[in-house]
Amino acid sequence: MSDNSQYQPRIAAFLCNWCSYGAADLAGVSRLQYPPNIHVIRIPCTGRMSPKFILQAFRQGVDGVWVSG
Amino acid sequence: MKSLLEYVGIEPGRLHFSWISSAEATKFQETVVEVTESVKALGPAKHMIKDIRKVA
Amino acid sequence: MEAVAQKIRETAAKLLSEGKVDCVIGYAQGTVPMRDYPYFAYTPEEAQNLTWSPFCCNNLANFLIRRPKGEIGKVAIVAQGCVSRSIVGLIKENQIAREDVYILGVPSPGMVDRRKVQDRFPLKTITEVTVDGEDLVVKGKDFEERIPQKEVRRDNCYTCVQRNPVIVDEMMGEEGPSDWGGNIDAVAAPWEKLEPGERWEAFIDEVDSCIRCYACRDACPLCYCHVCFVDEAMPQWCGKTQDEADVATFHILRAFHCAGRCTDCGACESACPQGIKVRRFTSKIEKDIRELYDYSPGMDLEATPPLSVYRPNDPQEFIK
Repeated sequence: MSDNSQYQPRIAAFLCNWCSYGAADLAGVSRLQYPPNIHVIRIPCTGRMSPKFILQAFRQGVDGVWVSG
Repeated sequence: MKSLLEYVGIEPGRLHFSWISSAEATKFQETVVEVTESVKALGPAKHMIKDIRKVA
Repeated sequence: MEAVAQKIRETAAKLLSEGKVDCVIGYAQGTVPMRDYPYFAYTPEEAQNLTWSPFCCNNLANFLIRRPKGEIGKVAIVAQGCVSRSIVGLIKENQIAREDVYILGVPSPGMVDRRKVQDRFPLKTITEVTVDGEDLVVKGKDFEERIPQKEVRRDNCYTCVQRNPVIVDEMMGEEGPSDWGGNIDAVAAPWEKLEPGERWEAFIDEVDSCIRCYACRDACPLCYCHVCFVDEAMPQWCGKTQDEADVATFHILRAFHCAGRCTDCGACESACPQGIKVRRFTSKIEKDIRELYDYSPGMDLEATPPLSVYRPNDPQEFIK
């Protein structure tokens, strides 16, 4: 953890089923490379998002939160 | 929400919002890289974590 | 002040004896000085206990909600500026019906912060506080002193923008000047001045003494959810310990739930037994709402709350 170049953050990604989750799917199909640090949580719609989720994620020790619609 | 978390001292780079259509795979990939870099630059989170060892 | 109290008593007694309302919600003098408490008068005789003073720190709008349906019919309520704004908010959120409340409007004298008064007499017991014009007469066992009221008001009363009630059925006194002249934007969100690195420390320092009694939540007329997020156990959003993370979660979420609704009545701060300045969180959010949406909650029955509608020109700089 002390060496920053080795440090791999954990990021909770809240993705909308219809938008970003689809984009993630397409990115996979298109063989696009992206960092493996994001942990995807699929939500039915960004409208399902609640500030509670963000705080809960931070409480459980993630380094970053990304919400995408 | 972001503004409030910044106000209490969570680094702005830890929370990201974006809008990506299901056809925008490249935008998705770019955003992932951006988010990861931004969080990486900040280092591990120090606040808000519930440390079970401290509580118990 | 006494004239207003007398008018409240007369009007309350009249409304109750005529059967226009079933209950009058007002304040009665507390047994401890500077602690006037919410009082429910059901009969014209009980209405004689009602009072009005600069010690009425609760937000009475809180008692219009969270009642079993049909328990009490129409009620009258004593409301100054901020309470009437809360009532407007509750009507908009369909928690109460306009025709079920009869609003006895009073211009707010600005409420006194009992802690500020006590701080002037360290280690002394105050036995009696009376109002004399613009001053308070504070009496104890071996002292008596006059303090100007304007030096010991609650923080939120200095920056009040609406002393007169916004909706009213009957006025209990002359409408006063509309504000106290303080600029809320200048003092709201005090931590904005701090460096980002210092903020977390300041925040934890402030809430460190929190005992999680939820008095701030219970005093707030906006917090009417049947199950509050802190009481939910599956999933548990917020732990019940006094751990830093739990306390921080509670305060952040409590403030966030009041976004675009808080009328800055100061009831939360008055209710806090630990003297935590809980308005530091809500004032930040309300400042943002004013800046982003140009909206002040509870001022207008017709205006739509900004967070419940979508407008094409809503600010969205935070989205990439």
